[in-house]
Amino acid sequence: MSKTVYVGMSGGVDSSVSALLLKEQGFNVIGVYMKNWSKDLPGMKCPWAEDLADAKRVAVKLGIDFEVWDFEEEYRKKVVDYMLDEFKKGNTPNPDIMCNQEIKFRLFLEKAIEKGADYIATGHYARIVDGKLARAVDGNKDQTYFLYRISEEALSHTIFPIGEMLKPDVKKLAEKHGLHNAYKKESMGVCFVGEVGMKDFLKEYIDVKSGEIREIESGKVLGYHEGAVFYTIGQRHGLYLDGEKGVVNDGMPYYVVKKDIKNNIVYVSKNLNHETIWTKKLRLKDVFLRVKTCFSSAEKGQVLVRLRHRAPLVSATFDGRTLHFESEIKRPAAGQSAVLYDGEICLGGGIIA
Amino acid sequence: MIYLDHAAATPVDEKALEAMKPYFSEHFFNPSAAYLPAKKVSADYEAAKATIAHAIGAKASDIVITAGATEANNLAFTAVSGAPRKVPTSFRVLYLEMEHDSIRAVAKKSGGKPIKVLPNGLIDLNDLKTKITDETELISVALANNELGTVQPLAEISGIIREIKLDRLKRGIKKQLLLHSDASQALNLLDINVARLGVDLLTLNSAKIYGPKGVGALYVSHDAKLQPLTVGGGQENGLRSGTENVPGVIGFAKAVEIANEHLNGNRKKYASFRKMFLSELKDFELINKKHVLDNFIVLCFDGIDAERLVFLLEDKGVYVATGAACAASKGVKSHVLKAIGLSDSQITGSLRVSLGETNDERQIHEAAKIINEVVQAERKRIGHE
Repeated sequence: MSKTVYVGMSGGVDSSVSALLLKEQGFNVIGVYMKNWSKDLPGMKCPWAEDLADAKRVAVKLGIDFEVWDFEEEYRKKVVDYMLDEFKKGNTPNPDIMCNQEIKFRLFLEKAIEKGADYIATGHYARIVDGKLARAVDGNKDQTYFLYRISEEALSHTIFPIGEMLKPDVKKLAEKHGLHNAYKKESMGVCFVGEVGMKDFLKEYIDVKSGEIREIESGKVLGYHEGAVFYTIGQRHGLYLDGEKGVVNDGMPYYVVKKDIKNNIVYVSKNLNHETIWTKKLRLKDVFLRVKTCFSSAEKGQVLVRLRHRAPLVSATFDGRTLHFESEIKRPAAGQSAVLYDGEICLGGGIIA
Repeated sequence: MIYLDHAAATPVDEKALEAMKPYFSEHFFNPSAAYLPAKKVSADYEAAKATIAHAIGAKASDIVITAGATEANNLAFTAVSGAPRKVPTSFRVLYLEMEHDSIRAVAKKSGGKPIKVLPNGLIDLNDLKTKITDETELISVALANNELGTVQPLAEISGIIREIKLDRLKRGIKKQLLLHSDASQALNLLDINVARLGVDLLTLNSAKIYGPKGVGALYVSHDAKLQPLTVGGGQENGLRSGTENVPGVIGFAKAVEIANEHLNGNRKKYASFRKMFLSELKDFELINKKHVLDNFIVLCFDGIDAERLVFLLEDKGVYVATGAACAASKGVKSHVLKAIGLSDSQITGSLRVSLGETNDERQIHEAAKIINEVVQAERKRIGHE
């Protein structure tokens, strides 16, 4: 009797090929489209129905069963509300990490197990080595940054079929099997919003409240913004500065260096070396360690750190709360995650305080 | 390729395409311009409108050209202008519950109430009668439904409306009572005459009758007073400003002309195709049995997910649909099949086949054979056999 695996299918090429591989390996495969979000936004059509149709087309082509699981309510509560709350606090959360933790590797897993699954699978670029979460072979596509908070229990029931593959090979395999979506862009959940649309998305849920943009060094008001919560430290676009000629418009961009959420003030600076941008230390909160490694102030551990998806790995020491870097790094926005590695193995990580 | 989704789109007839071509470059002039070549374009445009109008027994000045049926439907509903009544029981606007989304959306905006359909797909005239109140101003019933092809008894409906209008006059109630019908699917299969149907507003669509997409028309009787959706230069009697889509209308008119020539031939041909197709198919239930356009065939395969069939057939070069293309893209179940009382599993198992000019007899045999094979394979896969 072959083992049963429920594979999350988004309609994209990665999860399509994952389903294909599992089928070829002789699993009893059931494709599932997780309907997490379907609401259109002004000027932005949510592509869920197309994604669903693409996923279903692939499932039909592979001759596997296909189901649609509606997680919209839970996604709204666990991912979107969390995201909005964090933004309101002035942080820049990562909804994908939350989605993996709460939806894909919790709700989806639970429901699949309930339905008799031996495993779940997704099209993430990640591996499991000796039961531990490990970076994908394709270093350029590795998605463990988004997976560092999924539970051990989930991991023990998970297969990442394409973790050993390179993206171009995944595409080739899709083409070879006539999976039409070999060229389709990947998209999941509210990720359709993308970076450009995030502000528009937030505006649907958070009221616009105008406030001052001040230069941090002089305290001078340079312009006005639509709400400090919409801005991220380090951001230089979307600043409406109308200050004195020659001061603002000398060609040098201003960067957001500080947000005063309480008074709704955004502070900017032209000084790329401003202390709020560069740091040698990062305090983490909600630390989630995957591997029982003892980090303490007495016993600092040497780790590799990833501060953004696809950002290069940086070495640092970690004492269980704070990361110490050898040289200064550009400070990621509060609310983003720092993910720790020991070689290929993902040790876990935490949220930047 | 065997294309069996003519209710969704039709290829532009070659003659229509040829007729359009000169108006893209050679006769590109703005019909409103003063010089002679522009006047000629204007005259050709008016003649084309006349051809379209004559096909439904109307005059060129009675129709407003739009960018398709959706716009024409929206324009028709401006007959009831102003904000929707606050009262939730408002019966100002009535529409058949299985209307196309372009009607349902605009009707809901004006607080419209749905009229029920019978299991055979025809309007429930008793429900219509009980829902028409002294408040009612507009009733919208498509001539032929876009998923089932069901042809509604419009003359009978307009008869009922006439009596009510008479009664209103006797009682001194002056409120308008208009009948609108979306005839998008029927223009090449039914002999349409606005007077005989008794409609005040009628929507026509070029894209469904082998004309270009993005062109439609609304017939407007003298009783109906509409508000423009776009304002500007005052074209189309002030009801739709914007430079005229000359090539589109020329192509539309040509398509109308061809449709009219072949009206009876088409019906006979599709009726014989339909009969042949149904006699060759196995293990299905026919959903739209009676009162339908001859080219519409809705099949239900019990226990099968018809969406899977769409993809399996696509693989074999056979293109069909599970319902309206716009509903499919939104991922919702057919409200039409629900309206005629089908169960969820029947709706899931239903496939829409719409025949058309791209089909020939050989294709119909071939399609029936392929569908039989695919359905059998799918039944086997899920262990029904």
